[in-house]
This record gives sequence, structure tokens and C-alpha cells, in this order.
Amino acid sequence: MPTRSGKPTGSDLSSVLEGLIKADIEFILVGGLAAVVQGAPVTTMDVDIVHKQSSENIAKLLGFLKSIDAFHRRPDDKVIRPKERDISGMGHALFTTRLGPLDVLAAVEEGRTYENLIEYTVEIEFRGHTVRVLNLKTLVELKRTSRDPKDRQRLPVLEETLRQLENG
Amino acid sequence: MVKETKAKEQFGVDKGLVAMFLKMSPEERLRTNDNAVRTILELRHAYQKRKTDRLRPKLST
Repeated sequence: MPTRSGKPTGSDLSSVLEGLIKADIEFILVGGLAAVVQGAPVTTMDVDIVHKQSSENIAKLLGFLKSIDAFHRRPDDKVIRPKERDISGMGHALFTTRLGPLDVLAAVEEGRTYENLIEYTVEIEFRGHTVRVLNLKTLVELKRTSRDPKDRQRLPVLEETLRQLENG
Repeated sequence: MVKETKAKEQFGVDKGLVAMFLKMSPEERLRTNDNAVRTILELRHAYQKRKTDRLRPKLST
């Protein structure tokens, strides 16, 4: 539960991931955690996903967000709960939840959506389930076009991980 | 020191750390990240608390 000030009480990104899977949500894991599961030694504070934008999937995602007490992550203490329109448009919705931060993205760099990214994913076994993760090669390509200083800073580590993976 | 310099020669990347992470399973990597995040939050909380404690006026007895 968030506190009165809107602060979360914990952070367990594996549980966020497990919750998304158990709620039967169709998503692709992207961002820092996608890099982590593929072997990049980086630390990330949130879960980033690109979700399938079907009405059924949006309903499931909204239900899951409510179940983990999600509210919009904002610089002030205002607690604003997620609504369907927040996750059915083309923007990014950044949430704080009782399990940890979860960023729900309609698209990533160059406007790439779930449908555009699905062929660039790898399936990873996690706690007896399968998770679709954006492959490291695509992650690196996207980060190369990113203007975010955090992405630029991480890029050499991601590139070295990819190099070692490709060289066996 | 020489070892460390060699390991981080390319853009400051620790190649040994990359190799170590690649030996782990995806679940182990997630667990490592979770532990790191928990530690970071704990340290941030402790730092914040120290700052708050310093600002609080001392009660005279």
C-alpha cells in the first residue's frame, strides 16, 4: 500500500514481473530489466513493459494495476489511480505500486509498438512461466538512438554483454 | 590495479563482471537486481533519515 505521502513501501521487481504473468497480460519486457535478464550487469529500479493494446489485454492490465495499488508517479504527493485511457493511448504511463515502480509503455524509441517488437523478442523461463523479453541486439540498437543520458551511459555495458554473448 | 585497468579498458566496462553475470540464470540475475535495489533504497532511506535527524532541533533536558 502507498503511504499517505504516496510513497511505496517496498520494491520487488521480480514480483511485479510474476504478477504480470499470472494476470495473463500480453507484454514485452523492455528497458533495464530486459538487459539484466540477458546478462548485463546493470541495476535498474523499475520494470518497463510494452503491452499489447487489445481491449481484453488493457482490461487485464488495468485490473492488475489496481490489485497492486498502482498510482501515477509524480513529483508531488498527489495519488492519482490508473484509468483505462492512461494505458490505451500511445503514451507512457509511469506507476508506483506496492511491489515497485512499473512503467507501462505503448511504444518505445521510433514509435515501435508491441506488434513491431514481437519478432525481436526472446522467451525466457521465469518461475515456471515464459516471459517475452526484447532481445539484447534490439535493445542496443534502440539505446543507440536514445537521447536519454542514462541510456547513453549504459550503452557500453550493453554492447560488451552482446559482444560476449555473440562470441559464445 | 593492472588487472582492474585491463578489465575496464573499453569505455570503463568491467568485462569480468559481464562474464560473471552471463554465467547466472535469468532468475539469478533478477534476484541480484532485486537485492541491489533493496540495498540502494535502504541506504537512501538511511541517508534521508540522517539528514532529517540533523535538521531536527535537539530537545534540551
